[in-house]
Amino acid sequence: MLSFFRVLHFAFQDIVRNISLSFMTVIILVLMLLSINTLVVVRAVTEHVVSQVKEQIDVSVYFAHDIKQEQMEEIKKYISAFPEVVKTTFLDKEAVLAEFKETHKDNNNILNSLNELEENPLGATLIIQTREPRDYEKIITALSIPEYKDIIESKTFADTQKAIERISLITAQIEKAVLILSALFAIISFFVIFNTIRVAIYTQRMEIGIKKLVGATDWFVRGPYIIESIIFSGISMVIAGAIVYAVLQFLDPYLGIILYSEGFLTKYFQNNILLIVGIEFGVVLLLTIITSGLAMRKYLRI
Amino acid sequence: MITLSQISKQYTKKSVGLDNISLHVDSGEFVCIVGQSGTGKTTLVKLLIAEERPTKGKLEIGGWDISRISYRDVPLLRRQIGVIFQDYKLLEKKTVTENVSFALQVAGTPHKRIKNVVPRVLDIVGLSDKKYAYPYQLSGGQKQRVAIARSLVHRPKILVADEPTGNLDAINAHEIIEILKKINDFGTTILLVTHDKDIVNRLRKRVITLHNGQIVVDKKQGTYQL
Repeated sequence: MLSFFRVLHFAFQDIVRNISLSFMTVIILVLMLLSINTLVVVRAVTEHVVSQVKEQIDVSVYFAHDIKQEQMEEIKKYISAFPEVVKTTFLDKEAVLAEFKETHKDNNNILNSLNELEENPLGATLIIQTREPRDYEKIITALSIPEYKDIIESKTFADTQKAIERISLITAQIEKAVLILSALFAIISFFVIFNTIRVAIYTQRMEIGIKKLVGATDWFVRGPYIIESIIFSGISMVIAGAIVYAVLQFLDPYLGIILYSEGFLTKYFQNNILLIVGIEFGVVLLLTIITSGLAMRKYLRI
Repeated sequence: MITLSQISKQYTKKSVGLDNISLHVDSGEFVCIVGQSGTGKTTLVKLLIAEERPTKGKLEIGGWDISRISYRDVPLLRRQIGVIFQDYKLLEKKTVTENVSFALQVAGTPHKRIKNVVPRVLDIVGLSDKKYAYPYQLSGGQKQRVAIARSLVHRPKILVADEPTGNLDAINAHEIIEILKKINDFGTTILLVTHDKDIVNRLRKRVITLHNGQIVVDKKQGTYQL
C-alpha cells in the first residue's frame, strides 16, 4: 500500500514537473479523441440519413377486389414471418378509397368518376417494409407463387425496382466508405498515440535507467506511467467531451432542419454516452498503457 | 565480502570484457581498480550491480551468488550495494532530498524513517543547505556528493565508485575521495574504479590493475603503474 501511494505521488509529481510534456500528450490525445468523435458524428448522421432513405421505400401489394378477409390475413401472416420484414401495414378497401380521395381531392374529374361507380372499385392493400432495400426482391419472389396469382392483382415493386436497387447500392457504398474511413482513423489514431507515448518515454529513458540502478522494481518504475496514462486519458476525455458538446450545440439546429430531427446529435450522444465514453476511454487508456509498456521495456532492461 | 572465481565476460567473439579473473575483497577494504580505457573496469562494475551477467565463473557478494541472479532479485541486490557514477546519474526532475529519498522509497522504507535519515546523510556530505535544489542548480562536486548521499542512505556494506572524480576538478576530486575514505573508516567496503594516477598514489590502498580484461597487478598498498 505504501508503494502504491508513492507511485501515485510520483505520477502527480511527474505530471507537474514535466508539465510541457504532459500538456503536449493531453493535446495529442484530445485531438485524436476529437477526430474519433467527428467520425462518430459522421457515422450517426450517415446511419440516420440512410435509414430515413430506407424507411421511404416500401412495397405495396394490391389485392384483387373480390378476395376474402381470411385470404388477406393469410398473406399478411405469411409475409410477416419473413425475418427481413420489419413492418406490414394493412389497408382495407375503405381506407384505400379514403386515401385515394385524399390524394386526388383537387381533381374533380377523378372524384366525379369515382362517385359514378356504385361500389368501391379499389381492393385492399398491404404495405410491406423490409430491413434492407435488397430484401424486397425476395419478398416479391415469395409473393409470386401460383397460389397467390389470382389473389394479388399487382405489386408496386416492378415500377420501383430500379430505384430501390440504386438506393440499395448507394447506401451500401456509403456504409462501406464510412467503415473504411473509421478503420483509417483508427490506424492513424493508433500510430499518433503510439508515437506520442514513445517520444514521452524516450525523453525519460535516463530517469528510468537511474531508477532501476538504485534498486527500483519494474512495477515501481512503470507504476507512475500507468497512473499518468489514466490521468491523461481522463483529462483528455473531459476536454474532448466539452468541445464535442459545444460543437453539438452549435451543429444541432442546422442538422435538425436537414434531418427532420430536433437535437439529433445531442440525443444520439446522450443515448450512447456510456458506449462512446466507455469505448473511447478504454481504447485510449489501453493504447497508452500498452504503448508505454512496450516503449519502456527496452529501458527497463538494466 | 566479494569473491570472483574465474569470471569471464565476453560480449562478442572478438570483444572480451573480462578474461578469467579471480579476486577476493575483504569486508572493510578500500580497493582501487585501475586500468586504461577498455580494460574491463566498467564491465566489472556492471557485473557487481547485475547490469551484466558473467559468461563464465562465479561471483559472490556477502555469500550470495549473483552470477546467475534472477531478474526479480536484481533490485534487492542493488539496494544493498551503493553505486556512484562518473555522470552522477541523478534524477533531474527531483530535488536533492528527493533524489536521496528515492533510494529508500524504492525499498519501501517508512516515511518517518526517510524524514529522519535523509537530512543526516545530507549533513555528512555537506549538502544540508542544498536540500531543495535541483541537480541543474548544483556544481559537479555537489552532484557527486548527492550521488554519494543516495548510495549511502540505505547503509550499504559495499560502495562501488565508477570513476567518481572523472568529471571533477582537482579540489572537488580530493573532497570526494576524502568522503569515500571517511565512509570506509566507518567499515564500508569501497571499490574505487579510476584512472586518476594522483588519487591512487595518494591513497596508498590496495590496487588491482586490469589489462585486456585480466588482472595484471594486485598489491596490498599499491600505486598506479601503467
